Amino acid sequence: QNYSFTNVQIEGNQRVDASTILSYAGIARGETVSAAQVNQAYQNIVESGLFEEVEIEPRGGTLFIRVVEYPTINVINFEGNRMIKDEDLEQIIQSQSRRVYNPSLAEADAAAIVTAYEQSGRLAATVEPRIIRRSDNRVDLAFEIVEGRGVEVERISFVGNRFYSDGRLRRVLGTKQAGLLRRLIRSDTFVADRIEFDKQVLQDFYVSRGFIDFQVLSVTSELTRNRDAFLITFNLREGQSFTFGEVTASSDLAEVDVDLFQEAIRVHPGVTYSPALVDNTIARLERLALQQGLNFIRVDPRVTRNDRDLTLDVDFRIVKGPRVFVERIDIEGNATTLDRVIRRQFRTVEGDPFNPREIRETAERIRALGFFSTADVNAREGTSPDQVIVDVNVEEAPTGSLSFGLNYSVTNGAGAAVSFSESNFLGRGQYLSFSLTSGVDNSVTSFTFAEPAFLSRDVTFRFSASYGESSNQDSTKYDTRRVSISPSLEFPTGEFTRLALRYTIAETDLYNYTGASPIIQAEADEEALLTSSVGYTYSYDTRRTGLNPNAGVLLRFNQNFGGLGGDTKFVETTALVASETTVMNEDVTLRAEFEGGLLNFLDGNSRVTERYFLNGKMRGFDNNGIGPRDLNTPSNEALGGNMFAVVRLEADFPIGVPEEYGIRGGLFADVGSVWDLDNDNGGSVDDGMNLRAAVGFSIFWTTPIGPLRFNFSDAVQKESYDEVRNFDLTISTRF
Amino acid sequence: CTPIYRNHGYAPSETELGEVVVGIDTRDTVQDVIGPPSASGVIREDAWYYVASRWQTRGMYAPEVLNRELVAISFDDAGTVRNIERYGLEHGRVVALNRRVTDDNIKGVSFIGQLLGNIGNVTADQLLGQGPNGN
Amino acid sequence: CGGNKEPALESLTAEDIYKKAEFELETTRNADDAAVLFGEVERLYPYSEWAKRALIMQAYAYYIDKDYENSRSSAQRYIDFYPADEDAAYAQYLLALSYYDQIDLIGRDQGLTYQALQALRTVIERYPDSEYAQSAILKFDLAFNHLAAKEMEIGRYYLKRGHYTAAINRFRVVVEDFQTTTHTAEALYRLIEAYLSLGLDHEAQAAGAILGFNYQSTEWYEDGYKLLQGKGLEPDVLGTGWLQAIYRQMVKGEWL
Repeated sequence: QNYSFTNVQIEGNQRVDASTILSYAGIARGETVSAAQVNQAYQNIVESGLFEEVEIEPRGGTLFIRVVEYPTINVINFEGNRMIKDEDLEQIIQSQSRRVYNPSLAEADAAAIVTAYEQSGRLAATVEPRIIRRSDNRVDLAFEIVEGRGVEVERISFVGNRFYSDGRLRRVLGTKQAGLLRRLIRSDTFVADRIEFDKQVLQDFYVSRGFIDFQVLSVTSELTRNRDAFLITFNLREGQSFTFGEVTASSDLAEVDVDLFQEAIRVHPGVTYSPALVDNTIARLERLALQQGLNFIRVDPRVTRNDRDLTLDVDFRIVKGPRVFVERIDIEGNATTLDRVIRRQFRTVEGDPFNPREIRETAERIRALGFFSTADVNAREGTSPDQVIVDVNVEEAPTGSLSFGLNYSVTNGAGAAVSFSESNFLGRGQYLSFSLTSGVDNSVTSFTFAEPAFLSRDVTFRFSASYGESSNQDSTKYDTRRVSISPSLEFPTGEFTRLALRYTIAETDLYNYTGASPIIQAEADEEALLTSSVGYTYSYDTRRTGLNPNAGVLLRFNQNFGGLGGDTKFVETTALVASETTVMNEDVTLRAEFEGGLLNFLDGNSRVTERYFLNGKMRGFDNNGIGPRDLNTPSNEALGGNMFAVVRLEADFPIGVPEEYGIRGGLFADVGSVWDLDNDNGGSVDDGMNLRAAVGFSIFWTTPIGPLRFNFSDAVQKESYDEVRNFDLTISTRF
Repeated sequence: CTPIYRNHGYAPSETELGEVVVGIDTRDTVQDVIGPPSASGVIREDAWYYVASRWQTRGMYAPEVLNRELVAISFDDAGTVRNIERYGLEHGRVVALNRRVTDDNIKGVSFIGQLLGNIGNVTADQLLGQGPNGN
Repeated sequence: CGGNKEPALESLTAEDIYKKAEFELETTRNADDAAVLFGEVERLYPYSEWAKRALIMQAYAYYIDKDYENSRSSAQRYIDFYPADEDAAYAQYLLALSYYDQIDLIGRDQGLTYQALQALRTVIERYPDSEYAQSAILKFDLAFNHLAAKEMEIGRYYLKRGHYTAAINRFRVVVEDFQTTTHTAEALYRLIEAYLSLGLDHEAQAAGAILGFNYQSTEWYEDGYKLLQGKGLEPDVLGTGWLQAIYRQMVKGEWL
């Protein structure tokens, strides 16, 4: 039957006013209402979540609604939590102060806190929500937490591993044994999903070594008697290691020239099979297709297995992929960076064919900008199935740094430094830095500005100016002052090559010389010399964009021609050849570098300020420690040399310390020399080429402020008058 | 130094275009055969344009377009293909772009606000005194 | 530091704390202390009339303090608790304003513009006769204009780099979806530039015709006319293309 109410009577509401309840109930006065509608009204009011009890009772002409409101939460606090702080717990729970107290919500919060504890290894934690009644129907909500003891992993063992020892596999796994530094780190506490992660790690380890049938049969874990540690045993079935058999490229598309693709394959028979190599080859072939201007090309490998000789034949079939276009590129989250700074990283233009590999590489380029804490690029379907919208979501990170303060460097000792640098100036992607560093006996003020998209082309315009003064009277006995201004343009000239053209104008002044060497005295008399030079740097670099991700070569060749006006005429040539590769499945990096330089003055003599000293280029020797010296001066003043050459061999490898410390070891050997002077004062100075060599080991430590490198070295072959240095702390810069 | 080549856009090849018959094919069959147009219409699409261009960048010079292929497929009122025309790079005109921009009255964050707005990271080279211009 | 203030506030009545907060807001510049005080009123006397007014004042105080995050959450809480109240319109308006004020240069993030548009639309639709509806409509148009500016910005980016079809698609979005904004005239002009660069003269002429008919008084039309003149073309209507379709329907009203 149905009712019609002349008025509605609402009782029991204190905080929520009558009109709100009426709007939830949805029944207007005087309207004829069916029983179902009354029930619906009851449901709505209950679902509002504001009331503990709700009663609706039609009595004749009036509708009675009686409600008991949930109390509101006055204060929430946590008792007994030591491992997880209050702020973290507040993030986990949903109940909030000043909001309605809902018992089921409080139970859910307690459960959430328990799982949080389980995640960090406290399996025995218990949480009890309790309320304390306050005046005015308010309550205080308290969570009583009993954390219980953590559970450690005592020992990991393996069954069925014939090819690799337990020790080797343990090093591969995430859960280390309860190691010596247990107090420091928590990663060895036992957590269920970490075991899943370890299974995956084992799978990747074996498959990348050709064991395509590898399987983790089971993982058993027993609890030690006093319930504080676990014994984990992995039961493995390795199977056999397969190698590549026939590797071919094939396609039945007319426009594909198959032998071209066949040549691009670098995998030859006999190499141990690994999915990474297959992906790598696919990347090469797809990039080749892109260069040939073939659109919508997809490469899918067909693997045929022959168990007799444990080889896998892989045929890379080149097929026509789906015809999909990029409809729009939408960029969001760029609060400070301008849209075009991100958009110009895309080589794909709206309307171009959609190439997933290109989009992945663009995502890498956007991340490499270093402006964002997160930058993810993904594609979703557009207005029609064969159109795609590329969404770029970025989250800005601070890119400016303003620092006053002291800094220590082994070469200049302690010093004060004021520096402002901004790598995303005004969100335009421009780099701007101004720094004034003054050491014990030298000070440098420098200003650098770089615009990566000069005239919106892929050309970087860089302008740097610096003013430096040094007065290390005790060691070199002279003061120098140098002002230099140098604009340059740098641009790609091919897929791996870049060319930079620059002009430099500089004035160097060598003055108040107090030493005894006639050579330097002659140079000091020349007072300030203006050099105006043009120069170029040609670099060929296959490391990041090269096809083989973990090996690469860098060749950098540059020349400066002085004499465009100014007081000096010279040609300076320097070259750096470096190659790097990783061996023993990317654990060990081997690096070999050769660096050489030749400075020849067409008229007049070179000066000690221009000559080479190998500072920072050869380890094991002090600053200005190598090179020709004027031996009949009391302190054997260093004169430097017009030519230098150095070979550096390095290896760095893990030293068994778990990865999360970021500590690795390394060995190095440097051989090199500085020689040749224009004016050797009638032969009294030995400026011949005498080789020096130094060997040593280093410790790499990646700290939050950057990768540090501690070098311990010993000069095994040196001249009697060289100055040696056995310890050096530097930033391990990548060349 | 060797120039860098890049292709943009998409234009159907001769063989694909051969399958489109004037007077018979409608918009949907054209879309199935040669895909969506680079510039397509909205209300009543009378003409679809497929544009493909090949670009060359040499050294520090601005990228220039080497050739551009434009296939224009126009439809009559009944929606069947009325005409297929081809335009090349030579039809294009060099147009000086207008410098004026409709201004937008939303004020931006002040210069200083942006400059000091995202100060925050300390890098190792500052601490060790070997700034990017390392002395 | 809330601790020691606690007993002092407990003893005061809701009205005193409210007055104290209001005084704080008017006199001193830092509105966030006022916001905290308004919060205390709501916490200590959750049922009083003051709690309701304190909540809306808290949202306003945070907004003044440019703490848009908290302003939004307080405004949202007010709308949840007192949807039927006459101040709910103001709360919704405050919510919209807190997005709107964060919209930055057109080159920057557009996520906020969408949210501002949604919030402003709720103000206009749910409280049409409140005194905020009028200024919400105005701000809606400005935000909408801002969105169009973003499309234009990207269109010009592609136009400058010679990717004409990408530019055409972006300018077309402005012509069709953002007809009420001030950017439509420029969009049509840019279309003339793009079509001429591709060599599609009849499309350029059609764009010029629509520009002439609807935006006769703008400089864009004069430049467009000169541009077409320069190429010996009259902005007349011939040939076919999506623009003729718009011209025929929009201008002449022929719907065939």
